[in-house]
Amino acid sequence: MATSTESVDLVDGTTVRNLARAALFAALVAGFSYVSFPNPLAPSIPVTLQVLGVYLAGIMLGPLWGTASIGLYLAAGAVGIPVFAGGSAGLGVLLGSPTLGYLWSYPVGAGVVGLVVHRGTDLQDYTTVGVPLLVGAMVAGTVVIYAMGTVGFAVIQNVGLVEAFSLSAVAFVPFEAVKIAAVVGILRRDAIAAVE
Amino acid sequence: MLRYQPGDSLAHRLDPRTKLCFQLAFAAVAFAYTSPRGLLAVGTLGLLALAAADTNPLRVVWSYRFVMPFLLAAPAVAMLTLGPPWLVPAAAVDPALASVRNLLVIAVGGGYIRTTSVTDSRAAIQRTVPGRPGQFLGLGIELVARFLPVLRRDLLAMRDAEAARLGTDRPLGERMSTLAAVGLNRAFRRADRLSAAMQARCLSWNPTLPPLGFGWVDYPIVGLSLLLFGAAAAQVVGLAPSF
Repeated sequence: MATSTESVDLVDGTTVRNLARAALFAALVAGFSYVSFPNPLAPSIPVTLQVLGVYLAGIMLGPLWGTASIGLYLAAGAVGIPVFAGGSAGLGVLLGSPTLGYLWSYPVGAGVVGLVVHRGTDLQDYTTVGVPLLVGAMVAGTVVIYAMGTVGFAVIQNVGLVEAFSLSAVAFVPFEAVKIAAVVGILRRDAIAAVE
Repeated sequence: MLRYQPGDSLAHRLDPRTKLCFQLAFAAVAFAYTSPRGLLAVGTLGLLALAAADTNPLRVVWSYRFVMPFLLAAPAVAMLTLGPPWLVPAAAVDPALASVRNLLVIAVGGGYIRTTSVTDSRAAIQRTVPGRPGQFLGLGIELVARFLPVLRRDLLAMRDAEAARLGTDRPLGERMSTLAAVGLNRAFRRADRLSAAMQARCLSWNPTLPPLGFGWVDYPIVGLSLLLFGAAAAQVVGLAPSF
């Protein structure tokens, strides 16, 4: 074993808590990729809940820890933990998959949603945020995700932007409205126990 | 699905950092030489890499089957035009080459997964990425690997329970929000218990990592990776002959 002679550098309590939540959130987003709902617009490609996890990470963990958590999700996928759609993984997916633009956009999307909801990098109580701001934040996040995803698809597949959008986005955009409504429903429930 | 399997292939003996470096170099050269002859050479190199990882290429392709609809649809849609002649096969050539290249880049990543344990990957990342971000990523990756199966089981159990009670007849949004809310609660509860446990066990920023070291097998692969990076750079700046 590698030995270290420096003294133990303990992680302080707040950071441990944030770290545990960020890691569990990344694992939850990964778990969401296994739960698919049938897509009537494109039967071969089901709808998963990863984007819903991205919105929730921005809202519940804030722009900094939310981005870190989704970044962790990508890093875990890069080293082979089966976190991407269909239980796939690997650095190759982040470098050469047609959907790489979407994957790279997730941390950015979580950051955008978090910045709008918390109006800066300091965490606010998101349960007091009004529905219009929540919806606006998630629409902004969706625009970022689909913009980066479409450009990524066009570049990596060597096709035009219109073709890229029609292939990679059209069948999924309508479901984003459902996911945004679902997130608002989750935050308005009393069921979420862990709020601070 | 591809998973780590212990073994004694060449790739198993390589340092994880060498394998990550090779994947980046392979992707760089595949992007620089996206022509039929270039891809033939890159594809041969990819097959050799998978053979060195003792990995069946067909199994790798099967495990990445979810990207196939996109890879096949892109050239097909690129052929279509609005108006006569409706189909322009020549327009599909570049997207088809891109699809082959992307499949190669994705598939070579499969060799890494098959031959590298999570603990080794964690050590590689923590030693490569400096400071707290590296430590965060290292610790986080191990936690994700540990908790993904648990949370996945939670979510799938919820979905089955919902289906057993005719929940599948409910509107899509309601199903999504029920599943996500219960999943979130479970995840947060686990996170709070985990953080208490980690503090009780004195979680530190500088834990003892498993040893990693470059052996004699690593140097030729690092050299090959540097050559590939050089070849890609030569193509980008226009120094390489057309290939």
